[in-house]
Amino acid sequence: MPQTGVTRRRFLKDGVLMPLALALAGGSISALFLRSADARGFYLRPPGAVEEGRFLGACIKCGKCAQACPYNSIRMAGADAGIGIGTPHIIARQEPCRLCPDIPCAKVCPSGALDAKLENVEKIRMGTAVIVDRENCLSLRGLRCEVCYRQCPLIDKAITIEARHNPRTGVHSIMEPVVHRDKCVGCGICENACVRDKPVIVVMKSPPLQKDYYEF
Amino acid sequence: MELSRRDFLKASAAAAAFAAAGAPLMLTGEVDAAEAGIKWGKAPCRFCGTGCGVLVGVKDNKIVATKGDPAAPVNRGLNCIKGYFLSKILYGKDRLTKPLIRKGNKMVEASWDEAMTLIAGKFKESIDKYGPDSVAIYGSGQWTVFEGYAASKLFKGGIGTNNIEPNARLCMASAVTGFMTTFASDEPMGCYDDLDLGDTYFLWGANMAECHPVLFSRLIDNRLKNPKVKIIDFGTRHTRTSQMADKYIKFNPQTDLALLNAIAHVIVKEKLYDETFIKNHVVFKKGKTNIGYGLEDKFKFTDDPKPMTFDEYKEFLKEYTPEYVAKLSGVPAATIVEMAHLYADKSRKVNSLWTMGFNQHTRGTWVNNLAYNVHLLTGKICKPGENPMSLTGQPSACGTAREVGTFTHRLPADMVVTNPDHRAKAEKIWGIPAGKVPAKPTYNATEMFRALDRGDIKVVWTQVTNPFQSLPNLNRYRKGARKGDGRFVIVSDMYPTKSTEVADVILPSASWVEKEGVFGNAERRTQQWFKQVDPPGEARNDLWQTIELAKRLGHGNLFPYKYVEKEIWEEYRKFNEGEGKDLAPYEAYTKARGLRWPVINGKETLYRYAEGYDPYVKAGEGIKFYKNKKDGGKAVIWARPYEPAPEVPDKAYPFWLCTGRVLEHWHTGTMTGRVPELKRAYPAAVCEMNPEDAKKLGIKHLQKVKISSRRGTIILPVDLNGRGKAEKGNVFVAFFDENKLINELCIDAYCPISGEPDYKKCAVKVEKA
Repeated sequence: MPQTGVTRRRFLKDGVLMPLALALAGGSISALFLRSADARGFYLRPPGAVEEGRFLGACIKCGKCAQACPYNSIRMAGADAGIGIGTPHIIARQEPCRLCPDIPCAKVCPSGALDAKLENVEKIRMGTAVIVDRENCLSLRGLRCEVCYRQCPLIDKAITIEARHNPRTGVHSIMEPVVHRDKCVGCGICENACVRDKPVIVVMKSPPLQKDYYEF
Repeated sequence: MELSRRDFLKASAAAAAFAAAGAPLMLTGEVDAAEAGIKWGKAPCRFCGTGCGVLVGVKDNKIVATKGDPAAPVNRGLNCIKGYFLSKILYGKDRLTKPLIRKGNKMVEASWDEAMTLIAGKFKESIDKYGPDSVAIYGSGQWTVFEGYAASKLFKGGIGTNNIEPNARLCMASAVTGFMTTFASDEPMGCYDDLDLGDTYFLWGANMAECHPVLFSRLIDNRLKNPKVKIIDFGTRHTRTSQMADKYIKFNPQTDLALLNAIAHVIVKEKLYDETFIKNHVVFKKGKTNIGYGLEDKFKFTDDPKPMTFDEYKEFLKEYTPEYVAKLSGVPAATIVEMAHLYADKSRKVNSLWTMGFNQHTRGTWVNNLAYNVHLLTGKICKPGENPMSLTGQPSACGTAREVGTFTHRLPADMVVTNPDHRAKAEKIWGIPAGKVPAKPTYNATEMFRALDRGDIKVVWTQVTNPFQSLPNLNRYRKGARKGDGRFVIVSDMYPTKSTEVADVILPSASWVEKEGVFGNAERRTQQWFKQVDPPGEARNDLWQTIELAKRLGHGNLFPYKYVEKEIWEEYRKFNEGEGKDLAPYEAYTKARGLRWPVINGKETLYRYAEGYDPYVKAGEGIKFYKNKKDGGKAVIWARPYEPAPEVPDKAYPFWLCTGRVLEHWHTGTMTGRVPELKRAYPAAVCEMNPEDAKKLGIKHLQKVKISSRRGTIILPVDLNGRGKAEKGNVFVAFFDENKLINELCIDAYCPISGEPDYKKCAVKVEKA
């Protein structure tokens, strides 16, 4: 197993789950993850997309990336995207990015909105998968699900399993899928595969790294 | 029945209260609201051989929910993801609801009377023209005990043919012959409690993490509690099990035979064995060698066991030095020695667990024997937390196929048709004339479909199984079924499958809790359930279907029952009484969450052959393998050599192909494929390949490849970094996907002793598609 452990998880918890929990308490649950991907406050852009502000400036809405995608994962945004109308994005629950090794979508981008020089899929950073609904996660309830983990294209890197005792039965372990933000590329395959009606693991915008006042 | 139902509900309420207390995630209000008007009943899970208990929630004659049964000792309220979706498996859109009869190229709806008249006519015609061995039934380890029993009674006792086989021949037969040759009685001495009580676990060819998910989480919990626990995974593919094991030891396919002999070699050479145990409980034997692979039609084999001494056995082991076996297997000699020490460590409670890697093996019986050898040498057997255990893959491979004995050569309770006393006992219990049960076994599963292909069998009826997806060398048998010339295939199933495609008549079947049933799981636990919903449309119980055929063939007198299930049970119990396989009266199972046989005076048995646990072992005997009477109540250590696989990679076909399961799907996917959530979670088969091999061939991740063997070709996307990691020179494909029939590539070679085919090894080539 990769060396990850508490610090990274703590980071995820505080950096992603806490704001989420606050949002939940504030009643904006649907805005966060119960509607389509764009309702989460960000568009899941194709691999190699530059920072969103620059992306919107650079993208010429030519659709070449969508044409190059062999899985039809990339679609062009509609009018509800406002300024982003006609820009490419992915709705993971419908068809996630399958991480083609040669990244054909980025290769054909003529504008620089997608980094055509991107070679290694593990370097892609589209977002970060987060278990946003721990109560409804079957693995966390002790069931042997872990579909997100087994279908993760970066299995044992981006998602690992941490087993802990299940006090409910006394003889089983809870196999918890743990996302590692430094490895997760945000492809959305976990979100797509989740067996719940509403996926409990979804791709979120990666929170920016924060200034530390403490040496880890 | 009324009373027991009420008792059951009371017990459920208590269990639910217990679960609620321990389940902080469940909000009581939610449960109450969701459960309004739902009636809960118990059942074992419909899928694998673990036998998890579930509670089935029914409202308006429909299953609306299921939940893990907190009162079930097997799973204590948990399930895997397949078990979670049990409520959906009965409600696929294309459920079969009416009998269908082939008219040319079309399947046309018919009444049950029309269908059964046609079927009975075909049976009669074939029996009259070609004799009783021209008709056959092919059933399943998913048959309920009643269904298997009725089929066996009709075919062996009524029609007078041993043409009955279960699909368990394809998954458990080597475990059976392993148990029979070593202990003279089928099924394990230990039970699942060993997963909690042991500290050392050797897994052989078993991907427990995916194939026995709930048991695996129990094993992992043991390790969380006890830092001494070690899990060693011997395998030819790096699986999710390997990932969580303390040590993964990869070996070249087929060399498990040599590895186990090398482990025994070290134990013997370094005198790490338990001399007293060997003296009191073990005899040594050898059998024939160079025994063939069952590749030719009508292959026959009879072993010729010869006794040997411990010294002769030591002599046999001499060639299996760690150095020699290291070369053969690819496992370093030092690792072999280390593993032998771990097996023999007197401070350790050692268990071996295995599944299809051992059983689907052209030397499956031998490799089972060799695993027992190590436990018998070290005396680590028949003790709590210390046992060898063959895990099963079907919910009633044990309960029905093995215990009822729905194989060509078997009768209930370890009896065989070749033994005149056994036949006489069966004839007496069945109330049929002496001499009615034929003395000669006919065909194992593969041979049965070879006979259909040749035309020696004309009429075959399959129930609760999908052979025309699951047989090896599938092309031959799919074509064989449609050769015409009097061949007639009847398929009973709940959904259209690859087998209904080749059928002449399709019968719509009731499934799971649409009928009353009993299953038996891998730890000898017999579990009963009542019918809880009606089957859809005109679908009917397979038990009813079999008895209906019996009536139309003039064998209705074999089934003179009113409460069919209960009366069959009480009749079946007579076979087991006093044979070390005693079963309780039917009533007992309606209340209990299963009981592990032998059940005597209402008490189940956790450890067979062990004093204080097994009532057949007398005070002072300690351990007694009492079923092996001919060897004085001792178990057999077998000298079984390493022999190569029948087809090994060569220049033309340079890769080993291994097939298997994934957690999300079960068997040929006919049920899990109807659950949209599971289908989305794992939609289609892929070909796992080692990245270095792929690089050499210029194949990239997700690229489509053509995989071919001498028998067939399919095209699949390649997966270079998935849940299973192929070792160099190996590829792996799961067999659930009905659109990608990987079994077309598999070789129909089988273990000459067990008749079980090897789905884990054949030679293939991989090219860019």
